[in-house]
Amino acid sequence: MEQKLEVMEIQKFSVHDGEGIRTTVFLKGCPLRCPWCSNPESQSLKKQVMYTESKCIGCLKCTKACRYNAILAVEGRPVFYRNNCVGCKECARVCPAEAIRISGKTMTVDEIMESVLKDKDYYEATGGGITVSGGEPFTQFEGFLALLKACKEKGLNAAVETTGQVPRKHIAEAEPYIDSFLYDIKHMNAQVLKKTAEGILPEILGNLKYLAEINPDKITIRVPVIPGFNMKEEVINGIYDMALELKIKKVSLLPYHTLGKDKYARLGISYSMQEEKMLEKNDLIPFQRAGLARNLTVTVSE
Amino acid sequence: MVKFNVDGAQNVEVSRKIPCQKPLAEQLEIMERYTKVHRESAGLSKEIREINCLNVLYPALFREIEEQDKFIGRIDTLPIGFGCVTSLGGVGHYCVFHELRQFQAQLVEESRKERVKALYQYWLEHDLKTIYCRDVLTETTVGRFIDCDYPLIATARLSGMMLDYPKLLSLGIGGLKKLINGHLKEEPENNFYKAALKSLELFIKSAVHLQKMVLNKKEKVSDKRKEELDTIYNSLEKIKNDPPETFHQALQLFWLYAMLAGVINYGRLDDYLGTYLEKDLREGRLSEEEAYGYILSLWTMIENRRTTVNGRVIVGGRGRKNPKAADVFLRIALKVAKNCRYVEPQFTLRVDKNTSEDIWEGALDALEAGATYPTLYNDDVNIPAVKYGMRIDEKTAEQYVPFGCTEFVIQGQSTGTPNVCINILKLFTIFLNGGVDPVDGKVKNGPIKIKSLEEFHTFEALWDNFMELLDYYMDLSINAQMYSYKVMNDQVSFLFSSILTDDCIARGKALLDGGVRFLGGTNEIYGSINTSDALWAIKYLVFQKKKYTLAELHKAALANYEGYEELKKELWKCDKYGNDLETADTMANNLYEYIAKGVRDRGIKAGMQYFLIVISNNQLNTEWGRTTGASLDGRLKGQYMNPANNPQGGANISGPTAMLNSLAKFNPKYHAGSVQNIKFSPEFFRDNRKKILALFKTYFAKGGCHLMVTVVGRGTLEDAVLHPEKYPDLIVRVSGFSAVFVNLEADIQQELISRVLYD
Repeated sequence: MEQKLEVMEIQKFSVHDGEGIRTTVFLKGCPLRCPWCSNPESQSLKKQVMYTESKCIGCLKCTKACRYNAILAVEGRPVFYRNNCVGCKECARVCPAEAIRISGKTMTVDEIMESVLKDKDYYEATGGGITVSGGEPFTQFEGFLALLKACKEKGLNAAVETTGQVPRKHIAEAEPYIDSFLYDIKHMNAQVLKKTAEGILPEILGNLKYLAEINPDKITIRVPVIPGFNMKEEVINGIYDMALELKIKKVSLLPYHTLGKDKYARLGISYSMQEEKMLEKNDLIPFQRAGLARNLTVTVSE
Repeated sequence: MVKFNVDGAQNVEVSRKIPCQKPLAEQLEIMERYTKVHRESAGLSKEIREINCLNVLYPALFREIEEQDKFIGRIDTLPIGFGCVTSLGGVGHYCVFHELRQFQAQLVEESRKERVKALYQYWLEHDLKTIYCRDVLTETTVGRFIDCDYPLIATARLSGMMLDYPKLLSLGIGGLKKLINGHLKEEPENNFYKAALKSLELFIKSAVHLQKMVLNKKEKVSDKRKEELDTIYNSLEKIKNDPPETFHQALQLFWLYAMLAGVINYGRLDDYLGTYLEKDLREGRLSEEEAYGYILSLWTMIENRRTTVNGRVIVGGRGRKNPKAADVFLRIALKVAKNCRYVEPQFTLRVDKNTSEDIWEGALDALEAGATYPTLYNDDVNIPAVKYGMRIDEKTAEQYVPFGCTEFVIQGQSTGTPNVCINILKLFTIFLNGGVDPVDGKVKNGPIKIKSLEEFHTFEALWDNFMELLDYYMDLSINAQMYSYKVMNDQVSFLFSSILTDDCIARGKALLDGGVRFLGGTNEIYGSINTSDALWAIKYLVFQKKKYTLAELHKAALANYEGYEELKKELWKCDKYGNDLETADTMANNLYEYIAKGVRDRGIKAGMQYFLIVISNNQLNTEWGRTTGASLDGRLKGQYMNPANNPQGGANISGPTAMLNSLAKFNPKYHAGSVQNIKFSPEFFRDNRKKILALFKTYFAKGGCHLMVTVVGRGTLEDAVLHPEKYPDLIVRVSGFSAVFVNLEADIQQELISRVLYD
């Protein structure tokens, strides 16, 4: 299939995003801007320069290689004018120190499928399959749908990780091809979510309700637990209550981590969460207990 | 004749040996006596000479029993003596010259030093390996073990003998004597039979000696220890003649025999000891706890021999006579392996699709505990592969056992010693440089005409010319291997090993004299993945994309990429083996098959049952890398080479499934063992056991032949930061995802280390 997608990464032997051994395809583009996002390069649809300053030897070959005035030399160091960048990768190619990397690769559905199908034996042995993640995979809807259809054709189990902030008709169209949803719910207060992450809660909850009416067992609610944002009893319990109401049984809590922090600097954007410490699995045990007490299946990822 | 240094180290030595128990003066006397007997027996047959010499060493070299030993039989080795392998003493009648010099340096009295000097002079003419080297080594093409300046190194040794212990246990010493006596009556002049009988007398003499040692230990010990010593004493009494009846007797008999034979790999222990163990447990002669203690004691005594990359114990798999009883041994052995976590024995579990879940779980328990054992061999793949590779029937192939780094032999029926190693990558750098090694400027292409780089108008032309050079070196390798057998056979009979190797007794011949049923051998291959990656880069950049000329690439490599950093990166970014890519994997497979078939065909032509490559894994890939020029896979001069047929460190960036898929593409029927490594951090392993087990099983179902699984302990991650080349396959849990540790950014590595250490 010639349908093209902007791919951030294809990660094989993925064992934390759904049942069994899986391959996770991370697609670029996301409508939300969560400040704790550990894959900030997944937010933009565009190919992006990721520049690691500590590796740069100041040779300035990149400035000469760029034909789009996206890199200029300032006091012996490259400075990036990212709006001019077209993602041609020339700078990364000439960089001898591997200080520049381009995030994003255009791939056809066939190319993605070829890579994903290489591990089919492992999926079959473990009940695994493909997980399409992001960003928000629905952002590139046409290609995403084509990918899902291709998976169905090959008998692959398909999980999708979504923010839920997507048009209803897209959800409705894709739903028959999706075996399970990993559905992010970050907060139950529309204003807080809007202000913090540019999230539109009514749309997110509306879509969730829609899916739950079709089949609540296909859904796992995922909650990234973020100190100072939603790491509060009332917020998490609110999510649990909503899950119960929609007859959704599975909730997965993800402790906040800072391992994506350096990527912000590489993308030339600031990380607004710098002060917060990483959470441990144990920090979420009380929240887990509260969920278990409500007869929900609550897991805590590491 | 080529000049060579007899003083160098002979072997990859990792473990430090336990020093000899005897005072220096006594050690010197034994070596002098040995030398005297050797000299005086010069006119006798090699068989009689050997047994005369062995009578000097044993029982003299037995050590005292240790407090924790549940059976007896520890042996010292000296710089002069008799042996089979370089990692324990030496080969045949040997002198390890550098050890003899170290011995000399410890002496104070000048007169004694002079006595050592006389020994040194004598053995310069008589050490088996030196005799071999004199004839085989060349100025620039064939070097001695381990001289990394050469593309091929050769030695004489008899590694990996796995004896027919089932025969020993069923007949006992008395039964063996009877059998040989029967043959001797038919052939009264046969020196092999005469010497074999004397060898068994030496066994009895040793047992008597050990009984005295046990008695001497009985004073001032606890009642419990007295009882244990009595058991040992009684077992020794029994096994002087009779077949064993109890587990302890069987263990004592097998062990004492293995010591006298000088072998350092132990075969399918569960198969031949399991029935004794199961019977003792069933009839209440032994408790499970005592059985555990015996096996632990065996493990300790194997460890204490410090044979570096040997000490194989094999359990599980098809072709065992009484699998149920064998599994009793196997299950206890898994627990021992889990708890003691020694470097040796190299505890080896053969599995197939019928292996029970509880055995898998026991294996994962041991691995999760950081034992690094058991190492897993897949019978479903290996048995048919061995059948084809060694040209034997399936029943016989079921008796395959890995020794050393991974080489296969048929227990009790074949030799498989790897007496040659070839550095394929070094040859490729020499090839691209017109036959001259870019590291030392010496010409190493023998008679092969190598074209100038400009003459290669197609990739195929380059390939063909390189294969000519490989052909030449494969010819050298078979000649060196065959000659090692000739020299060893001229000098010695390896009596104890021959007695328990088919068909030596039936034929009345020592094993290298025409006695062994399957005369096999192996050829260790290094750097082949770097080479195939380099070949792919050339094919892609020079012949497909036409972006560079071959001469341009070569010039950059000669400069060790100084000033060509961009090009080096481009080479490194070309498709690499280990990522499940048709491009690089096909190239790797083509090269593998060319070499594997070439070596195998040469062995058959030379009259061997089999001569197969092994793609093993020790530190030679690092050591040989130091003397290998920069290569067109983007590897710098002097840098380590890829381990076994695993990808070069850092080249596999697509996760473990992709790597295993690449590994499973090599058809195992052309090799006699290939090591596959995979590493996990403890957290990852613990949390994902079910998926990991499925990963292993799927890989095996797809044709994987072997897996060495490591779950790293504390501090390993720190070491991985300093030496990333040692950990190309270490998988860690990051957060929400898993990654190859050495591919992570430095700061993330540090973050992980801080977490693991507080775990």
